[in-house]
Amino acid sequence: MDITLKVNGTACTGSPEARKTLADFLRDDLNLTGTHVGCEHGVCGACTVILDGRAVRSCLMLAVQAAGSEVTTIEGLAVDGELGPLQQAMWDAHSFQCGFCTPGFVMQATAFLGDHPDADEQQIREALSGNICRCTGYQSIIEGVLLAAERNRARSGRP
Amino acid sequence: MLAGGQSLIPLLALRLARPEVLIDINGIDELSGVSATDGQVAIGAMTREYVAEGSEIVADTVPLLAAALPLVGHEAIRSRGTIGGSLAHADPAAELPAVARALDAEFVVRGQSGERVIPAAEWFEGYLMTSRRSDELLLAVRFPAAGPGTGVSFQEVARRHGDFAIVGLGVSLVLSGGVISDARLAFAGLSDVPVRAVAAEDLLVGERPSAELFDEAARRATGDVDPPDDLHGSSDYRKTVAAVVVRRGLAAAADNARERR
Amino acid sequence: MTAIAAERYTGASIKRSEDPRILTGAGRYVDDIKLPGMLHAAFARSPLAHARVLSVDVSAARALPGVVAVLTGADLDAMTVPAPDPLLALLGGAGPTPEFTLLATDKVRLVGDPVAIVVAESRYLAEDGCDLVEVEYDDLPPVMSAAFALDPNSPPLFANLGNNIARPHSRHEFGDVSGTFASADRIMDFHIDVHRHQNVPMEGRGCVASYDVDLGLMTVYAATQSVHITRNGIAARLGIDADKVRVLAGDIGGSFGLKIGASREEQAVAAVSRHLGRPVKWVEDRGENLTVSGQAREESFDVRAAISGDGDLLGLDVKMVIDTGAYPGMGTMVPSIVEAMLPGPYQLAALGFESTGAITNKATYVAYRGPWASETFIRERILDVIAKELGLDPVEIRLRNVAQRTDPPASMITGRPLAGVTTKESLERVAQLADYPAFRRRQAEAREQGRYLGIGVATFIEAAPGPRPPGPDGTLGMESMRLRLEEDGSVALFTGQMPHGQSHQTTLAQIAADEFGVPFEQVRVVVGDSDVVPFGLTGGSRSATMAGGVALHGARQLKAKVLDFAAYVMEASARDLVITDGDVWVRGDPATAIPVSEIAQRAASGQFGADVDADLEVEATFDGGQGGWSGGTHCAIVDVDVETGIVKVVRYIAVEDCGALINPAVVEGQIRGGVAQGIGAVLLERSAYAEDGNFQSATFMDYLMPTACDVPRIEIEHLQTVPLDDDVNFRGVGEGGMIVAPPTVVNAIEDALTPFGVRIYEQHLPPGRILELIAAADPGR
Repeated sequence: MDITLKVNGTACTGSPEARKTLADFLRDDLNLTGTHVGCEHGVCGACTVILDGRAVRSCLMLAVQAAGSEVTTIEGLAVDGELGPLQQAMWDAHSFQCGFCTPGFVMQATAFLGDHPDADEQQIREALSGNICRCTGYQSIIEGVLLAAERNRARSGRP
Repeated sequence: MLAGGQSLIPLLALRLARPEVLIDINGIDELSGVSATDGQVAIGAMTREYVAEGSEIVADTVPLLAAALPLVGHEAIRSRGTIGGSLAHADPAAELPAVARALDAEFVVRGQSGERVIPAAEWFEGYLMTSRRSDELLLAVRFPAAGPGTGVSFQEVARRHGDFAIVGLGVSLVLSGGVISDARLAFAGLSDVPVRAVAAEDLLVGERPSAELFDEAARRATGDVDPPDDLHGSSDYRKTVAAVVVRRGLAAAADNARERR
Repeated sequence: MTAIAAERYTGASIKRSEDPRILTGAGRYVDDIKLPGMLHAAFARSPLAHARVLSVDVSAARALPGVVAVLTGADLDAMTVPAPDPLLALLGGAGPTPEFTLLATDKVRLVGDPVAIVVAESRYLAEDGCDLVEVEYDDLPPVMSAAFALDPNSPPLFANLGNNIARPHSRHEFGDVSGTFASADRIMDFHIDVHRHQNVPMEGRGCVASYDVDLGLMTVYAATQSVHITRNGIAARLGIDADKVRVLAGDIGGSFGLKIGASREEQAVAAVSRHLGRPVKWVEDRGENLTVSGQAREESFDVRAAISGDGDLLGLDVKMVIDTGAYPGMGTMVPSIVEAMLPGPYQLAALGFESTGAITNKATYVAYRGPWASETFIRERILDVIAKELGLDPVEIRLRNVAQRTDPPASMITGRPLAGVTTKESLERVAQLADYPAFRRRQAEAREQGRYLGIGVATFIEAAPGPRPPGPDGTLGMESMRLRLEEDGSVALFTGQMPHGQSHQTTLAQIAADEFGVPFEQVRVVVGDSDVVPFGLTGGSRSATMAGGVALHGARQLKAKVLDFAAYVMEASARDLVITDGDVWVRGDPATAIPVSEIAQRAASGQFGADVDADLEVEATFDGGQGGWSGGTHCAIVDVDVETGIVKVVRYIAVEDCGALINPAVVEGQIRGGVAQGIGAVLLERSAYAEDGNFQSATFMDYLMPTACDVPRIEIEHLQTVPLDDDVNFRGVGEGGMIVAPPTVVNAIEDALTPFGVRIYEQHLPPGRILELIAAADPGR
C-alpha cells in the first residue's frame, strides 16, 4: 500500500506491505535506524516514537496506519543540529550505558514532560515504568529527566 | 478488526493470529467520542483510552472507569488502545471488562441484521470470547451515570506497575444516609470472564460499612471461585488475594463515597 | 590516588563521548547494518524439548517466492567443520565433549533448537519460509531436572556420552575438613536452591556475515564481547584460517556475558553467506533470546556448616549440582569458580566442596554477570540464619568472621590472598548509614500497624581482576594496547576491549589524556575490528585494572617516545620537555610550544636516519600489577505486604571499594545496573520450563524485567582505599552488584518475616511464594 506521512518534519512516501510494522518501516524503508526494536510485542518501549503528538509504540502499529500522520523519531529531536534540552540533560546526567533502550526513553520522556512539566520523581518513574532498561537501574535516567524539567522551569522563569 | 492494535498486533508478531484480511476501523470518526444523555454515558468504541482518561464527563459520571483507566498498561498503550477494542478483546485479566461487568454496561453492536444492545452479563462469554457475531461491529459502550452517594475503587494486585492484574477488583458502592444501598463488585483475573461477586453484593446492601462486614463479604465473594493457575500465581494464591482485594476495595470505595459527597 | 601525571580527567565524571550518537539515534547496532544484496535469515526451530528428527522437508519453504535458500542441519554439516565453543577453547572447558551438529540433524535437545535456516529477501519472508519447513519428530522423554539427568535411566541427550553428566562428580578439600567438623560446637545443614534466570540484554544476539567470494574473505558485523573470540569461532567452524575472517563491532546493546564467541546460529549464518556469496543478516527476536540464547544460575546446594557456639563459621562442606542445559557452555566451569570463591572475605578453617554438572533439555548455561554468584548467595544467606539461631546480629556475626587486614594479607582457605580487602570497613559504614537502632524502632512501630519492614545486609568480594598471582584465566592475565600519536594530533588507543555499555571510549581516554597531556577530546579509543585491535575481551570485571592500566602505562611509554623525537626536532633535552593541553614545550618557556600534531607530521615525513625513532607508536602490555579485589557491603530495606506477598525495596545502600574511580558516574551506573538485575532475580525473573519441556517465559509478559518502579534510588559510597599499586589502583565493578544484591534482598525479606518464623533457602520469591513461606512457617495464620 502506498502511504505518505511526515517524519521529523519531512514528507515521506513508501509502499510497505500491510503487515509491516511502523517500527520496521521507519528502520528499513526510511533508514531511520534510531528507533530500536527490543521485543516486538509492545512491552519494552524501545520502539517508542511520537505520532500526532502522542507517544506510541511503533512496533504496535502497522506502517499503513501512520498514513497522513506526523511522526517524530529520536533523529528528529535535535534543535538546529544541537542536542535538544532533554538530550543535553541526559548527557550531563550520564543517563545511559549501552544505548539500546535510549530512543524509547527519550521519546517517552519528551512526550511526558511536554504534558507534565512539573512532574515529581515518583510520577516520572511511573510514566517511564513501561520502558525497560537493563543497564542502568533507572536512577541516572530519572535524574536526566528531572534535570531537564528543572532547566525548563528555570528557562521559563518558573521555580 | 484492527482498532487500537495494542493486543492484536503482538498476536500478529508472535504469529499466534494469522488473519487473511485486517479491517482497519481507525479512520471512522463517528465511532469516537464521549457523550452524556439520559443518565448514561455513551463512549464510542474507537475512543482512545487516553481520551476517556482525560474526559471530564467520565471523571464526573463514570468514576469507576476513571479509576481503572490509569491502570491500563502504560501511557503509550493508552495512546492507541481503545475502549471498545479492550472490551471486544475481553481479556479476563484486564481492567475494563471488570468495570463494564460491575456497572452493567451496555454494548451497542450493528451487523447484517441491524443494531442490538447486549448487556454486559451477556457480552462476556469465555476467554477472549464475546457474544458479538463475526458480522457485527461494536459501535459504542454505554455506562450508567453514577448517582449521588457513589464511591468507587479499582484494586489491583500486579507484579509491577502497569501489568495485567493477577487479581483485580472494580467496586462501586452507593451510600445513602451511611447505609449501603447499592453494591457492585466485579473481579478481573479470577476466571475466563470478569466475575460479579453476587453473594457479596447481596450481603452488603442494607448494611453499614464496617471491617467485619467487609471481611464477611470477602469470604462470600471468594467462597466458590476456582481461579486459573499460571506463572504469576497459583489458583490458591489468586483465591487468597481475591479476598484481600475485596476487603481493601470495599474500604476504599466507602472512603471514596464520603470524599465525593 | 595514583601517581598519574595530571589529574584533570581521571577521577571525574567526565561526560561520555559515546552519548552524542547514542542520544540522537546515530548509534550503529548490528540490526542497523545494511549491505548491498543483503539477505535475511530466520531459523525453523523445534517445538519439542527432546526428540529424534525423522525427516526435514524444506521443499515448500524453498518454493516460497522471496526465499533464496533453505539449508538443513545436514546441508550445513557438509559445508562446515566440527569445532569447539571458542570461549571454552580459550578458557579450557571441563568435562566430556558431547558430539552434535551445528544445526540439529538427528536430534533436537531443547524447545527452540534450530533445525533449518531460511534465507529470504526480508525477515518477514524468512519467517514465512520457516512456517513451511516440515519436520517429523519422534518424541523422547524430556530430561527436565538435574536430578533426573543424573539418574542413569534418563535418556542420554548425546549418543556419544551415554549419560547426562556434563561435569563428572569431583571433590576437593581445603584445610582439615573432618577435624574441623568433629570439633565444632554445632553443625547446621541447609539445602539452598538458586533458580534459572538469564541475561536479557535489550539487544538480542545477531550478526551480518558477508563473504567476499573474490577475495575469499569473511567479514562479520557482530555484537560480541570480543571480536577475536568471535573471529576464532567462525573461522574454526568454516574450516578457514582466522586471518581470513574479519569481525567488526560497533555499538552493542548490552550482553552481560551472553554474547561471547559465536553462537551456533551465528556460525550457521556465516556458513550460509559463504555458500551464497552474499551478505546475510540474522538478528534474534525476543522469543528466541528468551528461549534459546542461554540461561544461567540453576544450581542447588547442600551446605553443611561447622560453627562455634559464639558464632565462628569454622568450616563449610558443600555439594553443588548445576543444571547446564543441553549444549555445552560455561556451566561446566562454574563449579570451580564457586569453590574458589566460597570462603569470600571470611576466615574459614576448612572447606569441602564437591560438584556435578547435569545435562538437561534446556537452554545452555551461559556466563551471566558474576557466573559464580551463588557462592555469595549461599554464604550470606546461611550467615543470617546462623546469626538468628545463635541470637547474634547479622552485622556482628560478619564482623566476627571477616578476615583481618594484615600484612602479609590473610588468604582464603582456597588459596588466594585477601590483599587490600576492606570488608570490615564496608560493613561498619553500611551499619552506620542504615542506622539499625532507628530502623528497628520503625520496624516495631510498623509491625503494630500490620506492616512488615525488613533489613538485610550482605557482603562480597570479586576478583576485579584479582590479587597477584593472577587467577585461572591465564590468557586474560595480560592486556595489550597499541597507542599511536596521529598526524592530526590525536592519541589513538587500539584496544581489544569491546565496550557494550561500559563507556571505555570515555574512561580509557580520560586516563590517556591525563597521562599523555592532551585534552580529553583529542584521544580516540578504537575498538571493534579484529584486523586492527589486539586480542581482548570485555568481561570478568577486569577492564578497569587491565585496560586502564595498559592505557596508563602505554600513554606514558608513548609520551616518552614522542618526547624523545620532539627533543630531536626541538633541539632540546627530552628531560626538559613537557606536554600539556596538546602542546609540547620546554618547561618554563611557553613560547616554545608546538602542537603534538606538528610533531607527528614531522615524524611522518619520513626524513630521518636510523638513529632517530620517528615511529610514534607503542605496543604496551600490562599484567595487572598488584591487581586486587573489589567488594563491598550492600543493605536493603524492604516492605512486604503479607496479605498479597508483594515486596517493595524501599531503600538500598551500597558501600563499595574498587580502589580509585576512573569515572564515578560510570562506576555507579555499573553498580546500580547490577543491583537492578539482582532485585529482578529475586522478585520477578524466572526462566520457567514445564515438565514436558515447554518453555514458559518466552515473552516479556512472562519473563518479567524490573522497571523504574521496582528499583529504588541506590545510595552509594566509595571507600577508595589506600593503593595496592602506586600507578594503577583502579579495580573493576562490573559484576559485584548482581552478585551481592540477591542475598541482600532475600536477607531483608526474611528479616521482615521474622514474626512468622520464616526461613528462606531459595532465591526466587514471587508473591505466591512469599505467602506459601508464611503459611508453612505459621500455619495458624
